[in-house]
Amino acid sequence: MHIAEGFLPPAHAVAWGVASAPFVVHGVRSLTREVREHPESTLLLGASGAFTFVLSALKLPSVTGSCSHPTGTGLGAILFRPPIMAVLGTITLLFQALLLAHGGLTTLGANVFSMAIVGPWAGYAVYKLLRRSNAPLMVAVFAGAFVADLSTYCVTSVQLALAFPDPGSGFLGALGKFGSIFAVTQIPLAVSEGLLTVLVMRLLVQSSKGELTRLGVLLAKKQSRTETEAVAR
Amino acid sequence: MLPIDAAAHSSRWRRRHPVDKAVLGLGLTLLAISLPPWPGAALVLLSALVVLLGPAGVPRRRLWRAYRVPLGFCVTGALTLLVQVGGPGGFVSLADDGPVRAGELLLRTSAASLGVLLFAFTTPMSDLLPRLVRAGVPAPVVDVALVTYRMSFLLLDSMRRIREAQAARLGHTGRAAEWRSLAGLGATAFVRAFDRATRLQAGLAGRGYDGTLRVLVPEARVSVRFTAASCALLATLAALTFVLERPLT
Repeated sequence: MHIAEGFLPPAHAVAWGVASAPFVVHGVRSLTREVREHPESTLLLGASGAFTFVLSALKLPSVTGSCSHPTGTGLGAILFRPPIMAVLGTITLLFQALLLAHGGLTTLGANVFSMAIVGPWAGYAVYKLLRRSNAPLMVAVFAGAFVADLSTYCVTSVQLALAFPDPGSGFLGALGKFGSIFAVTQIPLAVSEGLLTVLVMRLLVQSSKGELTRLGVLLAKKQSRTETEAVAR
Repeated sequence: MLPIDAAAHSSRWRRRHPVDKAVLGLGLTLLAISLPPWPGAALVLLSALVVLLGPAGVPRRRLWRAYRVPLGFCVTGALTLLVQVGGPGGFVSLADDGPVRAGELLLRTSAASLGVLLFAFTTPMSDLLPRLVRAGVPAPVVDVALVTYRMSFLLLDSMRRIREAQAARLGHTGRAAEWRSLAGLGATAFVRAFDRATRLQAGLAGRGYDGTLRVLVPEARVSVRFTAASCALLATLAALTFVLERPLT
């Protein structure tokens, strides 16, 4: 859910831009360090950005009968980590604003905050927590994608409620208004995105173990003693 | 190629420097959100439409196809302002100033969107991205953005073909089949993206790749006349808004 161009008053647009800046700067520093140390990473990161962009173009069937697209923030955060996702998400949102007219430039800060910062961090935190408590990979992936999607929409509701408080009940009334409108479509969509992410991850585990190990999603297989001895001989 | 970018490549203003178009397009957007919606945003909307369909020569149908996307969101968002929660009228009732607030929001968002569309419809991404380094964006980020941009089209094309192949194999006949196809599509996009990156890396390594992607950028100079005319238009719109605000309110 992108907040459209010009939807937020100027003060809110600037404030969300300022709130997003430290996370994006942190991500840019991580990305710059990674590219300086491993120049070949530019291409892999570019590919990851393209994957994130393309993921948002997938049409997702919703339980309510409508059709929407996944945010891709959960899968992106699990695969590439939240700091990198802050940069890739910003690039993707810029492309969506200029190439697809989704979102906007004045609302870029607010959209980055919800879709490239809060969504990935919340989803990644849940994923990591479940993995540390020995939950199966697919359970952690589902929960991560579900939380990432839902938290994105919760933050968008807060942003809209702050910008347009209800005349009768203020911020809380507006939050209930925007939240309940989103809940009708977004809770089923978050479930759908969780399921889709699990299916994608299952296929990736079968077909791209090398890449997933390189990205740190799967642990590198330890060499058995006989293999080590064979190499030593 | 995506429709807006394709239109930008064949635009009349394709050879103009991005700064020229940014001053006009993004200036109109900034005016739209900072001036009073009536008559400020209405004047900006009208001016942006005249520039888009007149001097910039953007085809009407293409503009409408791109414009209806943000417009749909604006209308849905504005509808929520028509009702209020709590108060003397009951739990949910019509807000007194709802139609005015919704109308102002619609004016502001539709005018601001047209300003950005003016920039997007006349400036190809390939002209804009390499110049961001001069604007202070770190070169590695610009390089990643360039690879993302170029690879997106290849991936979108691959996905279209995969979707067609899936449809030909009855992959969209039932709900279960549709989910399976969708998951296959997402996973294949990931595998293809990484495969392309690895092959691109091997190709570039053979050509002495040192970590920087050098691309040719079409030469263009910032036009003082164009920028001055844009600033004059923006100033006129601001002045006109303040002059007309009282009589029209």
